Order: sequence, then structure tokens, then C-alpha cells
Amino acid sequence: MRADFLDRYARGVTCCHRLAPRVKLWAVLGFLLVVMATPLSHWPLLGLAGCLVAAGLTLAEIPRQYVVQRVAWLLPPVLGLALAGPLSRGPSEGWELALLISLRSVLSFLAGLWLVNTTPFEPLLQSLAEIGLPQRFVELLAFMYRYCFVVFDELVRMRTAQRARTVSPPSLWQVWRDATNLLGMLLIRSLNRAERIHGAMCSRGWTGRLPKNQS
Amino acid sequence: MHIPDGVLSPGVCLGTAAIAVVGLQQAFRHLDQSLATRTVPLTGMVAALVFAGQMVNFPIGLPASGHLIGGALATILLGPRGACVALSLVLFVQMALFSDGGKFAYGANVVNMALVAPWTAWLVFQAIRSRFPSPRGNLVAGMLAAWCSVLASAACFCLQFWLSYPAGAFPLSRVWLLMAGFHSLIGVGEALITGGILSVVLIQRPDLVQAPHPVPSAKVRSVIGAGVVAALLIAAFLAPFASELPDGLEKVAQETGFDSRVAPASPILLEDYSVPLPGTQTEDPLWSKVATALAGLLGTTTVLLLSWLLSRGMASRVKSTEELHAG
Repeated sequence: MRADFLDRYARGVTCCHRLAPRVKLWAVLGFLLVVMATPLSHWPLLGLAGCLVAAGLTLAEIPRQYVVQRVAWLLPPVLGLALAGPLSRGPSEGWELALLISLRSVLSFLAGLWLVNTTPFEPLLQSLAEIGLPQRFVELLAFMYRYCFVVFDELVRMRTAQRARTVSPPSLWQVWRDATNLLGMLLIRSLNRAERIHGAMCSRGWTGRLPKNQS
Repeated sequence: MHIPDGVLSPGVCLGTAAIAVVGLQQAFRHLDQSLATRTVPLTGMVAALVFAGQMVNFPIGLPASGHLIGGALATILLGPRGACVALSLVLFVQMALFSDGGKFAYGANVVNMALVAPWTAWLVFQAIRSRFPSPRGNLVAGMLAAWCSVLASAACFCLQFWLSYPAGAFPLSRVWLLMAGFHSLIGVGEALITGGILSVVLIQRPDLVQAPHPVPSAKVRSVIGAGVVAALLIAAFLAPFASELPDGLEKVAQETGFDSRVAPASPILLEDYSVPLPGTQTEDPLWSKVATALAGLLGTTTVLLLSWLLSRGMASRVKSTEELHAG
């Protein structure tokens, strides 16, 4: 399976990974609430939250490079939004709000990152279902999660084949044309596959819903 | 485009979550009522496809690169309600695997990208293709739908962001200028990618594109839909000119005491707007209004031009495929 990057760090063996998913979920939700409610005048609390998250990420042995990379992707849009205030109102106002928005979103993002990288998808889904995520939603998520790996493998195979057929380095226009063709063919193949799977499911007694006693 | 936690206020998070629950319930009810047993595996597959499709990078000649968003594509394949379900699944997996998008902001993300985007795309798509049912018409309709869906969700986010902070912290017209500028570009990219994929599907498996519902009043509906979308677009891009809309909304907020209730919750901002700012009304220079309107106009024209070009290429490919089959 080539799509292991989807949940590469979630299968670790540190103390954070061993914690019950439900405990981690509630802890993160509580953490988010505190961060969202803390004004900048209580900055020590935000600092404490930062230390907590840093400790969590270190304990879970999540590579620092990965964390920095993810935050670097998050920051540009958040900073753009946060700075809309000071930029449009003159340089003297709005800086505190901008700082607060950036701090809150980075802290929340890191907490989320810790949760998803210490908890595999299935247990997380299970504890969310216990909280009250509708059964119908969980069924569909199970289908989608399974298909994700199938579609990814197909995508990787098709890209390999495409690269093998490409002799000279393609121009920008050719890259776009090839990528959209690739996605179009992937779409047709995947929907054909979904129809075949559906036929196989029907022949095994599929009625449109998962049986109730399935775990 | 995924809203992280901490950007929107708890009140807005709650409100959007309520809207998301109602919208998704309606979509799920439709899914349950559909007689075809294949809807569940098909919806799951389209969700996985959109998710995988977002991983394919499209270089734009800069260090940054673009990717498919997939709102319009899912709508064209599944219809608006199926797309609502599929896109909310995609958003959920992105949240649970990558921590993209906040936990408390999930409702807002669903409203923007899984409710507003597909419904806008559907209205535009149906309105255009009901008049031009040829493959070329379908392609142009799909590309315009993609463009409109991106801008509609951006507009929706602006409103949520503006509502999250006390009146005056972020001028609505400025936030919209920022978002409209970026999302006109993103929308053109999305329209191009959607168009490229759609042209392959329309040649190979045209039956996969959702057939319009055989409702007698479809024409009337599509006219209404087109009218609504046109009005929204005009309102969004011309509102900064009238400039009454943001100020008007702020005035309503002051009169109803909305902002005085918000004030004590965030003490930092008190002095920000208890002092009447003389500059804010006159500060909004003309160029920002012109820029917003230009972004809209240029984007629409570009998408139309590109879709016309792409559809010309597709028409010749359809012909050659037909000749191949005939021969």
C-alpha cells in the first residue's frame, strides 16, 4: 500500500498513542475551548497552552520538521486575514487582534495535529460515534476511508505509467493537460470500480445499508 | 480555504454548526429515500476521488501550486445533495487525518464548502445546460459553476469572519476585497481543472454527468436560479461601490445593541470602536472598489474565454472519436 503517508505517525507506540482515544478527544476539545475563550490580556494562559502542546508533540515523538512544515502551510492565509485589520485601518490599530487570531489558530492547529497523529482513524471514528456522530455518517466514512487507499494506489500507478510514456520534460501547458486527463481517467476508472463493487455487494445481499450488528 | 479553530467566534461556530446540521440532515434524508442501492458506495467513491484529486499538484510557474477543490465536480457527478454528503465526508477526513480545518469550525467549513458551494454550482450548472444541452454547453456550464462555487464559499466565509468580531474590527468590504482578489485566481484555476476533467468524462462516459430532473417547471426554476446567482454576483462585486451594505449592516448592529453585547466579551477591542473613527467612512478609496469589481469581471471573462477554448478542443475530439467508432 503506497498511501501510508495518510496516517504515518498515528501508529506510534509512545505514551500519547497508548492513551484512550476518548480521553484524548475530550482533552483536545477542552483545550480548544480554553484557547478560544482566552483574551490577550491573559497571555500567560496562552503561553501555558503553548508549552502544553509542545510537550505533547515532543512526547508523541512527532518529527519537528513535519510540524514546522504543516504550520508553514497554515500561516499565510491566517496571517493574511489577521492583518486585514491593521492594514485597512492604519498601522496603529488592530495589531493585538491580529496577534490573538494568529496565536489562537496556531495553538488550535497544533492541538489538532497532536490528536490526529497519536490516534489512528478507526478508534477516533469510534469514539466520535459514541459522542453522537450519526450512524449513517460513520457508514459512509468507512466506505470512503477504504476507497481512499484504493484510489491512491490507482493514482500512483497511473502517474508512474504516465511518466514512463513522457520522454522530454513537458511544458506547463502539457503538465496541466496531462494532469487533468489523468484525473479524468482516474474518475472514470474509479466509478467503474464502484459499480463493480456495488454489483458484488448486491450479489452478497446488500440492501443499501450496513447490517446493524457490524462492529 | 479550511478555517482553523480560533479564527471564528464561538457564537458563529455554533450558528454555522446548526445550519450545517439542518443542511446535512436534508441531504442525508434524500440519500435514504433514493431507491438506488448504489448511492452509498458511489457517494463514498466520489468523496475518495475528490480527496485523492486534491493531492495532484498543478504548477503555476511559481513556488506555490494549485489543486482541485472539487465542489463543482462532485455536484456534477452526484447532484447537489449527494455532493453535500460527499464533500462533508471529505472535510471530515481532512480534519481527522491531517488536522486541516478546526474541530469547532467544522460546521462553518461544511456550510461554506459542502452546502453553499455545491448548491451554487448546481444552480449555475443547471441554468446554463438547460439552455445549451450539448457537450460543449455542459463543459462551459461546469466551468462557470466551478468558478461561481469558489467565489460563493469565499463570500460566505467573509460574512462569518466579519460577524465573528465586534463591528468595526474588520471592515467587511476590505475583507471581501482581499478574499475576492485571491479567490478570483483560485476560481479560474478550479474552473480550468474541472473543465479538463469534465472534457475527458464527457467524451468517454457522458452518462456519468447528472441528468437534469424531468420536472415540468425546470425551465422556470432554472430562470429563477440564474437570476438569483446573477443577483448574488452583482451584489457581491458591486456592493463595495454602493458601500451602503457594510455600513448598513454595522448600523443595524449598533441599533439592535448587537455590538454592545459583543463588546464586554473582548475587552481589547473596546477602545477600538467606542471612539468614533472619522477616517473609516471616507478612508475606503475608490481603487479598492474598482479592484473588487475588476476581479469579478476579469475572472468571469477569463473563465468564459477558457471554457470556450477548451470546448472547441473537445468538440474536435468528440468528432474524431465518433468517426473512429463509425469507421
